[in-house]
Amino acid sequence: MKQNQKDRYARHIRLSQIGEKGQQAILDASILVVGVGGLGSPAAMYLAAGGVGKLILNDFDIVETSNLQRQIIHHNHSVGENKVDSGQQTLEMLNPETKVEVIPYQLEGDELKQTIESVDMVLDCSDNYPTRFEVNRYCVETGTILVSGAAIRLEGQIMNYQPATNSACYQCLYSQAYESEESCEVEGVLGPVVGVIGTLQALQALLILAGLGEELVNRLLMFDAQGMHWQGVTLPKNPNCPVCSGH
Amino acid sequence: MNVSIELYASLMKHLPPGKSRFRRDLKVDDGLILNRLIEQFHIKPEEAHLVLINGHYIDAEERDDRKLAAGDVVSIWPPVAGG
Repeated sequence: MKQNQKDRYARHIRLSQIGEKGQQAILDASILVVGVGGLGSPAAMYLAAGGVGKLILNDFDIVETSNLQRQIIHHNHSVGENKVDSGQQTLEMLNPETKVEVIPYQLEGDELKQTIESVDMVLDCSDNYPTRFEVNRYCVETGTILVSGAAIRLEGQIMNYQPATNSACYQCLYSQAYESEESCEVEGVLGPVVGVIGTLQALQALLILAGLGEELVNRLLMFDAQGMHWQGVTLPKNPNCPVCSGH
Repeated sequence: MNVSIELYASLMKHLPPGKSRFRRDLKVDDGLILNRLIEQFHIKPEEAHLVLINGHYIDAEERDDRKLAAGDVVSIWPPVAGG
């Protein structure tokens, strides 16, 4: 590790659980962030600040004024820009050492699968079930780690899929029958709620990269912001899961 | 027997008036089936996404057979997909 990296990440390295070895794993990692909105904003910013080697930002959306109350990677002057371009600019200001690539259209099918296969980890920061199901399926098929967060109104959830373990996947939790027309546009969302969940996604990502993911296997966390209620539960792998039961 | 139900986040709207924002203590028939309790609160199956008894996850397929015991705390969380 170069001296400037030792200086920059000194507070990580100081942690006995991370050390230089853990930080090197973070520096060597590549992560696909699907969605650069409320969850993806803090997630990508903490990952870049933490020194993740390469981030691929994927979002087809344009920054709107109504995004700015929670999507903190974007700025007032970003309105009208592609979210991925705006996000890339912010991340490059935060940490020019992190290589940032952008994909400004909806990734799906083979291209999504190949992109997932090319990275070490995926953060699902999207806002709809069809994308979540497809991302999960390709993560399982390619044996790629997935950290999945969701939030709306005053509530949120986070879980992860670690293929090297006997881990439950997203579809052990959500059957394909789930459909929802709910959106933050219709339902509303208090800004820091997505901030909390997106930040936890970055935290789980760094822990897993540094080899500290064992305690997170099959761990599902639910958050009710109004009462600051957290409930953590062990989510067993579904032996009949249509996606992961054969893996 | 006495049990408690906790409805979180957007499910709180199903609670009758009471002191707690999210929890009600109830008297129910001995051996009441979990899904019958959920139905009493007019919660649709797809809304009762995560159902826990005393903090342990109860799979959707078990909920029609699972009998409640005195003192059980049933916690229910809705699905979330936004971001």
